[in-house]
Amino acid sequence: MRGRNLLVMSAVIVVAIALVIAFGLSGIFRGEADQTPAISTTPSLITTTAPAAITTRELPSGTINGAGASFLNPQMQAWAMKFYELTNGKIQVNYQSIGSGAGQAKFREGMLDFAGSDVPLKKGIYNEFKEKGGIIQFPVIIGSVAIVYNIPGAESGRLRLTGEILAKIYLGEITYWDDPAIKELNPDIALPHERIIAVHRSDGSGTTFVLTAYLSKVSEKWKEKVGADFTVQWPVDEIGSGVGAKGNEGVAAAVKQNQYSIGYVEAAYAYELGLNVAEIRNSDGRYVLPTSETMKAAAGALMARLPKADEDWSGIFPHEVMDPPGPDSYPITSFSFVILRQVYDDPVKVELLREFFKWVLTAGQESENIVKGYIPLPPEVAEIGLRGLEMLRAGG
Amino acid sequence: MNTDKAFRLSLFFFTISSFIIVASIVVSLIATSYPIFMRDGLSFIIRGAWNPVREDYGILPALLGTLITSAIAIAIALPLSISLAVFSSELIPGKFKIIMNNISDLMASLPSVIYGLWGLFVLAPILHQFVMMPLHTHLGFIPLFSTRPVPTNLFTAGVLLAIMIVPFASSVIREAYSAIPYYLKEAAYSLGMNRWEVIRMMLGYIKSAIFAGTFLALGRAMGETVAVAMVVGNIMRFPKSLFDMGYTISSLIASQFPNAEVYEFMVPALYGGAFMLFIMGLAINLIGFSMMRRMVVHR
Repeated sequence: MRGRNLLVMSAVIVVAIALVIAFGLSGIFRGEADQTPAISTTPSLITTTAPAAITTRELPSGTINGAGASFLNPQMQAWAMKFYELTNGKIQVNYQSIGSGAGQAKFREGMLDFAGSDVPLKKGIYNEFKEKGGIIQFPVIIGSVAIVYNIPGAESGRLRLTGEILAKIYLGEITYWDDPAIKELNPDIALPHERIIAVHRSDGSGTTFVLTAYLSKVSEKWKEKVGADFTVQWPVDEIGSGVGAKGNEGVAAAVKQNQYSIGYVEAAYAYELGLNVAEIRNSDGRYVLPTSETMKAAAGALMARLPKADEDWSGIFPHEVMDPPGPDSYPITSFSFVILRQVYDDPVKVELLREFFKWVLTAGQESENIVKGYIPLPPEVAEIGLRGLEMLRAGG
Repeated sequence: MNTDKAFRLSLFFFTISSFIIVASIVVSLIATSYPIFMRDGLSFIIRGAWNPVREDYGILPALLGTLITSAIAIAIALPLSISLAVFSSELIPGKFKIIMNNISDLMASLPSVIYGLWGLFVLAPILHQFVMMPLHTHLGFIPLFSTRPVPTNLFTAGVLLAIMIVPFASSVIREAYSAIPYYLKEAAYSLGMNRWEVIRMMLGYIKSAIFAGTFLALGRAMGETVAVAMVVGNIMRFPKSLFDMGYTISSLIASQFPNAEVYEFMVPALYGGAFMLFIMGLAINLIGFSMMRRMVVHR
């Protein structure tokens, strides 16, 4: 019996110590606990030697630290490396891919110089920052969501869908591929009487946010029943036809492995991973694939509705910008954002941030600086950020 | 005398610090999850929901998923690891034994994301085609196999976990097996027992090590995050059969943590899940060890 008593005793001791600490020091420990989420971070130390610099005037040297959206990560690393070379190693930009939400949270706690995010700040957080000197948020790159499918016999680009059908599939209302609504749009595909397996992301993701915002825009029922967010409760799961997969690569694998499935991934991944991409009907009634032309057309069409960099974007973004007008616009097009404070204590930091993002929004958008699969901003959209950067100032 | 005292003091210090570390983990779990228990009380752990839009969280399906996948893993891994241990200590010659033990130890140290990717791209399709579909087609009337399977589900996660924990369990059992005094074996043979009877006798002798190995492995199975998140299906719904998709607490945390902080109650909910996992692990260990006591006493 001794061993058992020892075990019980150790459990009792652990719990006792826990309670003592909890009552005595809960304040201190909470503060610490809040900052210790187990996020695996991959700091991006860049160690390339530099060729010729472009800037003529004297730049301060230093480091800028940012983190956030993982979609932005490959492009941000490429920009950081190129800029490091151009400034002869004077300005180093670190970006950690920890997710949009974590990036926003760390930025809010003051642990980052900038955050990368697939969605702008929520209204409450925006107002909180406004009281503390204001915020600057602006698009840096176009992103869009591709609808991918696996129907034996139907190659990429053959399947045509509308937003309403997509919403009904994920609502669990259209459950078979030979549903009249789908058949009507696709008279030349032999659609079988097979259950539609609807694949979705299981981890919180900006991609999910953009897709669900689109579904909310085109389907009143989706807006009421589900809504738009990084993670939603998928109605299709309740009827047993949903599959949750982790990451873009997980969705891609699930779609490939499950015949008669449908899913969604960042457009850049869809082509990279060789998935079949569906044509989606845009607001002009034309069926379009996500290509650099259709995404740029959508971004250009949105331009008139976009706010200024220091304004609250949460009112229209991402919900209102979905399904933009224009015959060539791809309907599920969005942006990735960079979020800055208006006021930084350190004047050097202000200059570093201004220089880097000015470069990102001008020369950084040229094709030699854009990673394969990403789509640069139309100049008029980049202008929003350039205007915003003028508001950066030192203070304290 | 003095060194003795110093030794005892240092022991005391290390013991206390490990207690404090465990205790402060428990404290941070309780402190951070406090808001969700205050808001929802028990309904947080007796319902199924994961709806960040409405800040509605209930983790019972994930708790069940953790139990189901771990149970599948142990049911498969226990016989495998015992046979592996016996096989490598009794039946194969010295050189191969070393190679085999090294491979098995190497398997234990592989990062779990490797298992996850392998599970997703290799194991899941194979299991789907050659195990799950045949079972569903021919034995679908049994409730356990009644769901038409997709490649990623609770069963796949259980099998993957089993593969991951076999090296752990078998290494503990193997060490205990080879530590059995040689004269016992000789005595058994001299009584006229055959090889099978000797092995059975020896296994009876190391029952406690088999238990210890099992619980060590069970701990790893319950806590595994990334690998399970890739193959479990990740659906917050009450599983109807082994082939249904589900969630485990650990895979829920791995999937949801990166964006949790934009919500008011998701971080508390995830910590609450971790706390329940901790309680569950503690309970299972207590039950297991008391069972082991009873067995060893009654022998």
